[in-house]
Amino acid sequence: MLRTILKREILHNLYSLRFLISLSLLVGVFIAGSFSFVKGYDANIKNYQESQAQFLDEMKTQAKESATRLAVKQRAYTLRPRTNGFISDAKEKYLPNAIVFSAWNVFSFQNKSGSTNPFLNKFDELNWSFIVCLILSFVALLFTFDAVSGEKETKTLALALSNSVSRGTLLFGKYVSAILTFLAMVLPGIILSGLVVLLSGRVSLGPVFVLETVGFLVVAILMAAVLAAFGLLCSVAARNSNISLLLALAFWILFVVVVPNSSTFIAKTFFPIAKTEAIQKKVWAAFDDLNKSAPPGSWMSSSNPFLPQHELRANLQRKRLEAEKGIRDAYYQSLFRQFEKTRLLTAVSPVPLFQYLTEAVTGGGYPRFRKVWNDFHVYQGQFLAFFKNLDAQDPKSPHWYNPFDIVSTTRKPVAFETVPQFVEKPMTFTERVRPILVFFVINIVYACLVFFLSFALFVRYDVR
Amino acid sequence: MVYQIARKDFLNNLLSARFIIGFMLCLVLIPFSILINIDDYRDQTNQCRLDRAAADKNIKEVRVYSGLRPEIIIPPEPLSIFSRGISGQVGNRVGVRLGEKPLLAEGKIAARDNPFLASFFSADFVQIAAIIFSLLALLFSYDIFTREKEDGTLKLQMSNSLGRSQFLAGKVLGILGTLLPVLVFSFLLSAVLILFSKNVFFSAVEWGRIGLLFAVSLLYLAVFIFIGLFISARSKTSVTSLVLCLFIWVFFVFIVPNLSAYFAESFVRVQSRENLNRMLENLDKEFGRVQSDRYKAQSISETYNASWRSSGDDGYIETYGNSRIEFEAQRRRSMISEPLRIDYADKKWTHQEAYLESLAHQARVAERLSAISPAGFFRIIAAAICATDMRSHEHEMDRVRQYREAFVRYLQNKNIFTSFRYITPAPPETFLTEDQLIEKKTGGEFKTVQAFDAWAAQQKDARAAWLKLSKNKIQGDQPSDFPYLDVSDMPGFQERSKSLFSGLENSILNIALLLIESILLFYIGYVAFIRYDVR
Repeated sequence: MLRTILKREILHNLYSLRFLISLSLLVGVFIAGSFSFVKGYDANIKNYQESQAQFLDEMKTQAKESATRLAVKQRAYTLRPRTNGFISDAKEKYLPNAIVFSAWNVFSFQNKSGSTNPFLNKFDELNWSFIVCLILSFVALLFTFDAVSGEKETKTLALALSNSVSRGTLLFGKYVSAILTFLAMVLPGIILSGLVVLLSGRVSLGPVFVLETVGFLVVAILMAAVLAAFGLLCSVAARNSNISLLLALAFWILFVVVVPNSSTFIAKTFFPIAKTEAIQKKVWAAFDDLNKSAPPGSWMSSSNPFLPQHELRANLQRKRLEAEKGIRDAYYQSLFRQFEKTRLLTAVSPVPLFQYLTEAVTGGGYPRFRKVWNDFHVYQGQFLAFFKNLDAQDPKSPHWYNPFDIVSTTRKPVAFETVPQFVEKPMTFTERVRPILVFFVINIVYACLVFFLSFALFVRYDVR
Repeated sequence: MVYQIARKDFLNNLLSARFIIGFMLCLVLIPFSILINIDDYRDQTNQCRLDRAAADKNIKEVRVYSGLRPEIIIPPEPLSIFSRGISGQVGNRVGVRLGEKPLLAEGKIAARDNPFLASFFSADFVQIAAIIFSLLALLFSYDIFTREKEDGTLKLQMSNSLGRSQFLAGKVLGILGTLLPVLVFSFLLSAVLILFSKNVFFSAVEWGRIGLLFAVSLLYLAVFIFIGLFISARSKTSVTSLVLCLFIWVFFVFIVPNLSAYFAESFVRVQSRENLNRMLENLDKEFGRVQSDRYKAQSISETYNASWRSSGDDGYIETYGNSRIEFEAQRRRSMISEPLRIDYADKKWTHQEAYLESLAHQARVAERLSAISPAGFFRIIAAAICATDMRSHEHEMDRVRQYREAFVRYLQNKNIFTSFRYITPAPPETFLTEDQLIEKKTGGEFKTVQAFDAWAAQQKDARAAWLKLSKNKIQGDQPSDFPYLDVSDMPGFQERSKSLFSGLENSILNIALLLIESILLFYIGYVAFIRYDVR
C-alpha cells in the first residue's frame, strides 16, 4: 500500500508546476554559483600563493641572518582556500583565517584584512549549502504544506482513507515522497554543478569528491526531513490549505531569517564575555607586577651576548610571555565557548543546523579553524624544540632563552630546509564528525519529533 | 463604484487569515529587528565613548608637537537602527598621521569582542521590511483576478456597467487600503520603541528621514502589488499564480542580493590588500633611503645618543636631558624628515586611492546588479537615506582626509618642524654642553666627557657607568618635569552636519527609477487585465 501511495505522490509532485519552477530555478542557481566559484577560486588561490611566497621568503631571509631571529619573529600563517568551497564556504572569509605565532608561542588569530571588501554588504556565496538552505528549505515546505489540507479540499483525502490504509501509512507515504521529490530536485543541480567544477580542472574526481558529495546529500536529506515534517505539521494543523501555506511561510521566515539573524544578539545576551579592553588591562597589570619585581638593570642591553643583565631580561621576558599567554588563552577559550554555545542554541532552526553539518562534510569553517589552532600549538612545540636544539649546539651562545630578544641565544644562521614547517592536514573522518555529532543527533530527533507531532494531529484530523 | 469595490475588498481582506498572520508577522519581526539594532547601536555608542575618551586623553597628554597625532572617532549613525548598510563592516577610528593618509577606518567592528561572531549575519529593519512587505503585497495580490474568476463573481461584475479600469482601480485601492495600515503600524511601532529606549535620541532631521523611508517603503510595496497583479492577470488559476509569486519573491528578495554580491566578488577583482601593503612598505624603504641621503648631504649623524627618547613612529621624537649638540642634531633631522614624510604620504596615496577605487568599483557593480530586484533597489535607497551606505562612508572619510590636510597646514604654519618644540618641551636656553651634563650628572666628580669615558672604560661591571650617570637627577631630563602642550589652537574635526536631503542626490534618481518601475509594472498589469478572459 505504501508503494502505491509513494508512487502516486511522487508522480503528482513531479508533474506539478512548482516542481518545474523549482527545478529550473535550482539548476540555474547551481550552475551560476559554480561558475562564480571557479572564477573566484582562481583569484583567491593566487592571492594565497603570493602571500605564502612572501611568508616563506621572510622566513628564509631570517634563517640566513640567525636562528634566533627566525625563532622570535612573530608571523602570520594564512589558511589555504579550500577546493571544496563550492559545496560550502562555511563563512570562512568572515572567520579568523590567519594565526600569529613565533617559536615561543601561538599568539593570536586574525581575519586577514583584505579577505573581504568592507564596502560590500555581507552575503552568502551561491554554493550548494546556501542553495539547500534557502531554496530547498522553501521547496520542502512548499511540497508538503497542502499534503493533507489540500487533499481535503479536493475531497480525495476522505476517498483515500476509505480504503484499507491506515492514517499513519498515508502520512508516512506523503512524508517520504516529499523527501524523494526533494532529492529529485537536488540531484540534477548537484550533478551539473559538479560537472562544471570538475571540467574546470580545479577539482579532481576522486574518492574524496565522491564521499563529500554523498555526505552532503545525506545532510541535505536530513534537513529536508525536518522541514518536510514541519510542512506536514502545518498541513494537519489547519483546516484549509491557505492557512497551511501561511503557517509554513511563517515557519520558513522563522528558520531562515529570524533565528540565523539573531545569533549575535543571542551570543551577547545569553553568553556575555569580557571586553578586549579589560583583557588588555589585565595583561598590562601583570606586566607591571613582573617589571616591579624584576631585578634592576633587567632592561640593559649591549652587543656582548654574555652581559649578565641579558639573563635577567630573558627571565623577565619569559615570565611576561607566560603571564600574557595565560590570560589570553583563557580569553580565547571564552570566545570559543561563546561561539559554540550560540551555535548550539541556534540549532533550534534546521537551517543553521544544516550549515553546521555541512562544515563537517567539507572539513571547513569553525571546526577546521579549531583543528588548525590546536595543531599549531603542537607545531610551535616542535619549532621551539628545534630551536633549543640548535642553540644547545652553539658554544658561543649563553643559552638565555628570551622570546622577544635576539641577543642572548645563538647567532648562527640555519639552513632553511631543516626548519620545521606547518603543514595543514586534511581533517580525518573522526575529526570531522566528532564536533558535530550533537547536531546530528539533534537533527534526527527533531525530524522524528515533528513528524510524530503531525501524526498525532493527523490521527485526530477531520478528513471530511 | 471604485470606492465600493475597494471597500468590499478591504473588508474581505481584513477578515482573512492572511491578514491576521501577516499582521502577526509584522508585530513580531519589526520590534525584534528594531530592538536588536537599538541594542547594537547602544553598544556602538558606548564603544565610541570609550574610544573618544582615550583619544582625548592621548591628545591632552602630549608634551611635544611630534607626538601630536589626533585620532578621529566617527560616532555611530542613529539611523543605522533602521538600515545598517555597511556600518557594521567598517571601523570607527581613524588615526591622523603625517606619513600616510587615512585609508580605511579601524577599530573594533560593530563593537564586537568576539571575531567569530562576524560569521553570523544580522538583519535590520529594512531587510525585514523588504521581506515582509513584499510577501504581504504578493499574498494579497496574487489572486486579485483569479479568485473572483474561480468564484464566478468576476463575470458577474463585468456584466454590469463597470469598466475594467474602474474595477482594477477598486481592487488596487482595496489592497493598498489593507496594507497601508500595516505599513503605518510598523513604522509607528518602531518610532515608539525608539522614543522609549534610553540613550537613543533622534533629531528632527532623523525623523524626517524616517518619513522619507516610509515613502520609499510605500513605493516598494506598490511595486510588489503590481507584480502580483500582473502575474494574476496572466494566470489561469490561483494556485499557479501563488506558486509563481512565491518563487519570484524568493528570487528577488533572497537570491538576487546574494547572487549580485557573489558575482561582483568573483568577476570584478579587487587589488589584494597585501599587494598594497607591499607597495607601501617599498615606499617606506625608499623614504628611509632618501632621508638618510639627505642627512648625509648635510652631514648630520644618524646615530642617536639621547638619554630619553621616544619610539620615532611617524616622526614621533620626544627627547630629554641631552646635550645641546644632540638636541640640535635631532632638530635638524626632523627638519629634513618631516616635510619628506608628508611628501611620501602623497606618493603612497596614489596606490591607496587605486586600491580604494577597486573596492568601491566592486561594491558599485554589486549594487547595480542587485538593482535587478526591487528588494535590492529598496535596500540601496534605504541605506542612502539612513546615511549608512558606501557613499556616506566615503564622504566621511574624505572629510577626515581634509582634516588631515588642515592639521598638516596647522603644523606647517607654526613652522614647527624647524623648532625644538617639535622634539622637546625644554627651552633651548637651558640646553647644556656635553661636559656640563657629565659634571651635573656625576655630581661634579667628572668635569669632562673624556675623563668620564676613561674612568668608565676601566670598570668591569657594565652597569657601573650607567649607575654613576643616574646618581644625580638633573632638572629637565624626563617628561614629568614639563607640563603638557597647550593645543587649544589646533583645528578640531567637525562632526558631520546633516540636513534632510544632504547626500541623497543619487537616491533621487534611484527613487525615480523605482517609481518608473512601479508605473511600468502597473501598466503592463493593466494591459494584461484588459486582455484577460474573465470567463
